[in-house]
Amino acid sequence: MTGTLTGTGTLIRLILRRDRVLLPVWIAITALLPASIASATTGLYPTQAARDSFAAASAANPAQLAMRGPIYDASVGGLTAWTLGSSLALIGGLVSILLVIRHTRAEEETGRRELLASGVIGRHAPLAAALTVVLAANLLHGLLSVPALVAGGLPAGSSLLFGLSTSAGGWAFAAVAAVTGQLTASSGTARGIAIAVGGLLFALRSLADTGGVGWLAWLTPFGWVRLTRPYAGDQWWVLGLIAVFAAALVAAAFALSTRRDVAGGLIPSRPGPAEGTLPGAFGLAARLHCGTLAGFAIGFGALGALLGVAARGLHTQLDTPQFRELAATLGGADARLSDVFFTFVMYVLSQLVAGAALVSALRARAEEAAGRAELLLSTPVGRLRWALSHLVFAVMSPVLLLTVLGAVAGLTFNGDVARVAGATLAYLPAVWTVAGIATLLVGLLPRLAAAVSWTALGLFLVVDLLAEFKLATGIILDLSPFVHVPAMLLGGAASPAAPLLGLTVVAVTLTAAGLAFLRRRDLMPSA
Amino acid sequence: MNAAVRARGLVKSFGRTRALDGLDLTVKTGEVHGFLGPNGAGKTTTIRILLGQMRADGGEVALLGGDPWQDATDLHRRLAYVPGDVNLWPSLTGGEVIDLLGRARGGLDPKRRAELLERFELDPRKKCRTYSKGNRQKVALVAAFASDVELLILDEPTSGLDPLMEATFNECVLREKRDGRTVLLSSHILSEVETLCDRVSIVRAGRTVESGSLADLRHLTRTSVTAELIGSAPGLAALPGVHDLSVDGARLRCQVDGDALTAVLAELARAGVRTLTTRPPTLEELFLRHYEGAAR
Ligand SMILES: Nc1ncnc2c1ncn2[C@@H]1O[C@H](COP(=O)(O)OP(=O)(O)OP(=O)(O)O)[C@@H](O)[C@H]1O
Ligand SMILES: [Mg+2]
Repeated sequence: MTGTLTGTGTLIRLILRRDRVLLPVWIAITALLPASIASATTGLYPTQAARDSFAAASAANPAQLAMRGPIYDASVGGLTAWTLGSSLALIGGLVSILLVIRHTRAEEETGRRELLASGVIGRHAPLAAALTVVLAANLLHGLLSVPALVAGGLPAGSSLLFGLSTSAGGWAFAAVAAVTGQLTASSGTARGIAIAVGGLLFALRSLADTGGVGWLAWLTPFGWVRLTRPYAGDQWWVLGLIAVFAAALVAAAFALSTRRDVAGGLIPSRPGPAEGTLPGAFGLAARLHCGTLAGFAIGFGALGALLGVAARGLHTQLDTPQFRELAATLGGADARLSDVFFTFVMYVLSQLVAGAALVSALRARAEEAAGRAELLLSTPVGRLRWALSHLVFAVMSPVLLLTVLGAVAGLTFNGDVARVAGATLAYLPAVWTVAGIATLLVGLLPRLAAAVSWTALGLFLVVDLLAEFKLATGIILDLSPFVHVPAMLLGGAASPAAPLLGLTVVAVTLTAAGLAFLRRRDLMPSA
Repeated sequence: MNAAVRARGLVKSFGRTRALDGLDLTVKTGEVHGFLGPNGAGKTTTIRILLGQMRADGGEVALLGGDPWQDATDLHRRLAYVPGDVNLWPSLTGGEVIDLLGRARGGLDPKRRAELLERFELDPRKKCRTYSKGNRQKVALVAAFASDVELLILDEPTSGLDPLMEATFNECVLREKRDGRTVLLSSHILSEVETLCDRVSIVRAGRTVESGSLADLRHLTRTSVTAELIGSAPGLAALPGVHDLSVDGARLRCQVDGDALTAVLAELARAGVRTLTTRPPTLEELFLRHYEGAAR
């Protein structure tokens, strides 16, 4: 192996320099969350009785089970670990996938790897450097979260285990991305496959915890994170399972990388047509967006089916007094369990749909940064026409995805397609608002557009989490467009017009402003 | 209005970098115009302004009689561009990209397309992600040469081509010129400039330092003089326009500005000349003089 790792140190420094803002921000936020949630839990539920009743209500809520799994122990530590376990694994997993692909396959795709690869950089060095940074960053935020937890009065041993378990999701998915980065020559496809694998493994954990097939949780990293059971029996050895999983995939990634060429993939590229029929900017945009969109549609269809099936069993499985009470506070005494379930889950999933819309809305900027827009815009294709060719997909992809999600969920639940799809489609203006933010940023701050848009979506997710623990109220809560969407299945349908119209106006304004700025500014290739 | 490009006093800053600092450029209709200058001189920035992709902070610019920013869409029907760094859509084949660009420019000649593909030895069925830098450049070149346009803007189009393909490129440009098209060619390759260009503009640090035909430029620059004298020529060093003077016994060498040559020869004749060699500057010397010290 000597020689193949030459230059790893140089590349590590390069990565640290390129991500000098992103890494500290991510590490700081994830390191601070555990202690803040722990202290919020103490504040909100000061007595054991209060915590017990909260735990009982949560255990009776299928949406909570699907997102977070069962509660093992109703202590402050146990509730904190339950609240954050799956969220931090999701966030850490996603960030790690994006980082690993960004510093491996994306570098090769743009040809920057070639520049470095001339002799001083060993063939395994880029992957080794990316993994070193990402694994270390995950470890760091896990360890940094421990002192504040201990200072807050939680047991040290369990806190260390909890801290490490928040790192574990990142490790597992950094390793998944290391492998998918070897398979195809396209960074977009590599990223897509890794995220799809993540979604599948998360769905598997959800199914394990809602469908009465608990053993399934042992097949997925999201299950393992929960099964470490911090503050509730501390199963340290489960961390070993995650380490073995990550190590095996990393070894596989290095093995695969020796069997392919730089910039090549294991899945070979087939020759295509010698003549083109793309009818212009819109035809090109359709080609660029459709693959991703089809993948998303299949994914959301599968999620919808999972939800519909899960909702079917609710009436018999979860008709507990606590859940009745929760349902009553949300939707009145006669609210149906399934409606409460769908309302909860759609709220979270609509933000995933917003992620898909962001991919489309940021595509124009990606084309510009990669220098491809420069060539197209030297033809009679105008700025506005080019921007609109991508914007169409940012506008239409959430229509498609929310419809698929709602329709499939309704169909598999009780055939009530229109009602459930109507409820998911109510999120359309909120999702458009997120796409509008991205469009505004592409016009105004192109170099920061992707980072800031994704951060904004991440913050909306954090607002949800804080709202749930009553850490955010009033104005902060109002900042998230998702908060304003009426719950159509729980009596919100009575007067949905005002908030939906309001959000639509915001979305249209943001988008129009973004396009106006885009027409006035210089083209700025390469980030 | 017989200038395809007319730019006066262009200014463009990026933050604290002044990329263009009063640049002038005139490209006459029907000529091949060389656009030269060291790295970072501002060639690509000028071209981006001509294409309406950037707006100048100051100065005037007209392209094919129009405003490159306001009339971008209309003007782009009449020109084709090959960027210095050709980036293509990884999932499209070369043939698809050629047709996409050609169609956007109002259609291309299929016979010419086939002929160019053959001459540039380009396989149009390969995905762009598998092309080398040179092959990506060929895709953009084929699309440009097969389009029916008045003006070609080429930014270092041969930087990735092998010598054989460079020769093919030269033939293509000469053919465009015969057909009456105008070409703006940014280049660092001197032989290419010498073969193809009617006139050149040399830019340095965002300003035009020379502009004219190659013959004009040679004329304007220094001649290298070597002489063996009978007597001595003490007045030589004091003459304006004499540079790098070195005297080794009876042997003498110096560089002389074009307009100082008469005075220098008179001074030498006064001292008496045994042998005398004068040599016009080579193209390399011409460029090196402008390129030297350009690092900013
Ligand atoms: N988008 C940008 N942001 C900041 N600086 C820029 C930008 N584009 C160009 N510059 C700077 O402007 C100057 C001129 O660059 P330009 O690309 O026009 O040079 P060039 O003559 O094309 O050089 P080369 O021969 O290397 O292609 C350089 O100093 C460059 O760093
Ligand atoms: Mg350049």
